[in-house]
Amino acid sequence: MQIISVENVSYSYDKQNMAIKNVSFSVQRGEYVSIIGHNGSGKSTIARLLNALIKPDEGEVTVDGLSSLDKKNLFEIRKRVGVVFQNPDNQLVASIVEDDVAFGPENLGVPREEIGERIEFALSAVGMTEFRKSSPVRLSGGQKQRIAIAGVLALKPDVLVLDESTAMLDPRGRKEVLDVVEKLNKEQGVTVISITHYMEETVRADRVLVMDGGELILQGCPQEIFAKKDVLTAIGLEIPPAMRIAEKLVARGVPLPSGILTEERLGEELCKL
Amino acid sequence: MQIVAQNLTYIYSEKSKGLAVRAIDGVTVTINEGDFFGIIGHTGSGKSTFVQHLNGLIKVGKDKGGLTVGEYDLSDKKCDFKGLRAKVGMVFQYPEHQLFAETVFDDVAFGLKNYGKDLSEEQISSAVRSALEIVGLDYDSVKEKSPFELSGGQKRRVAIAGVIVTKPEVLVLDEPVAGLDPRGKTEFIDLLHRLHKTFVKTIIIVSHDMNLVCENCNRIGVFSEGKLVKEGSPKEIFSSLDQIKELKLSLPVTAFLTEVLKEKGVNADNDFTEDGFVDAVVSAYMERKRGDK
Repeated sequence: MQIISVENVSYSYDKQNMAIKNVSFSVQRGEYVSIIGHNGSGKSTIARLLNALIKPDEGEVTVDGLSSLDKKNLFEIRKRVGVVFQNPDNQLVASIVEDDVAFGPENLGVPREEIGERIEFALSAVGMTEFRKSSPVRLSGGQKQRIAIAGVLALKPDVLVLDESTAMLDPRGRKEVLDVVEKLNKEQGVTVISITHYMEETVRADRVLVMDGGELILQGCPQEIFAKKDVLTAIGLEIPPAMRIAEKLVARGVPLPSGILTEERLGEELCKL
Repeated sequence: MQIVAQNLTYIYSEKSKGLAVRAIDGVTVTINEGDFFGIIGHTGSGKSTFVQHLNGLIKVGKDKGGLTVGEYDLSDKKCDFKGLRAKVGMVFQYPEHQLFAETVFDDVAFGLKNYGKDLSEEQISSAVRSALEIVGLDYDSVKEKSPFELSGGQKRRVAIAGVIVTKPEVLVLDEPVAGLDPRGKTEFIDLLHRLHKTFVKTIIIVSHDMNLVCENCNRIGVFSEGKLVKEGSPKEIFSSLDQIKELKLSLPVTAFLTEVLKEKGVNADNDFTEDGFVDAVVSAYMERKRGDK
């Protein structure tokens, strides 16, 4: 079932340069979609369009059948689509973790008793229950980002949008966040749209959308996308390191199958030789 | 300029009981002129505290060990820190956040005027021109622009130009490619190698990116809980992985794969660069094929 539809959408911040040009795609409920593209390709504009922080100049974005062009729908759209941004320090508002997580539902007027349940659910979903009474400033970057995700989950969104949410984290923090997101997707059925320029992160996705110069130029499963290496390199992206190594080996006469994206898989294939 | 740290220690909030944190603890290391030195370790392991000593941003405390950079003795209170800072350039994480001037020219010239003796206008503009050209920006087309009009990658270049304008011999960079997209990252690394062939003799990078460090550094120092726990070439660092795994550091792809092969009984010793790994696998494969025949 479709949850998000973006139809022929264009958007410009300054009425001169188009940030997004005639972009169309849809996302199914429960899907994990990655959006990649170099800086300035329009990826983050899409995040803002999806939860109606901005409205399309042309075309239409609908979430669960609700169009963001209609002002009456904004509240409902934002309840359904939660966005986690890049810098965890800009997203936490309270001095105690549980207050921070409660902030969203309190704003929505969720009854007191239910807020307690939601905090519990959200913190356990991101594995941060034990930090309930902690101060966010004392947490690591990865932990802060997990609290930011919990704050979004407490709103029980259908769709979680990650706008380069791992870019400022160290490898350990990044893995923590990605594991939580993957679990939410697999176990809770949360639809995930992950905007990133870490190619290795897109390997986890069901489908990858590639943006360049405001246009959606490719979409497909990770294997299909990374098979188009020439297109990716031409627009300043690269293939995952394991795939690059596999290609170099194949070019030197080592027989490996195509479509190797991860180092684990490359390891297995090398052992079979 | 050779950098020699001996038993270097730094304690934050030393005088406040209960809050004191031993950020670096007895670090002894020599970084030679010509090194492309990588510093790895988890967040909070002391990497940044260590590098901030190198240009005197953090002063060597009394009885906290010794540090010399070329002829500068940083544990000496009378050390000429201004002279030192012109020789040791420091580039922080997201350096573009520190741009502030109205024009690219003023931003780049700032450091020079700050450290410079009495430089004429011509000397300043020629130094700014050459700094911008080294980082790959066209002087005439960017000098009058606001740094804020530029793209992320360009801003970072301007920030670097502002550091290298004093022609430092040592350049220290904290997470130099964080936040750059793949092309920006490749271009930036190329720039570092280009710089390494100029007046910049020594490059020190702090990074979480193991692939980056393995591919580009001739030596690596591993920090953990304030101590330098391992130091050597990438080959030395990643040939035995017990300690690295114990520290829960991620492995470069090449070391991960070499380990997988080793467990399988295949020896693919290499220097852990991508090409080195590929060579090793190709020759192991060819040997096996010959053996089969």
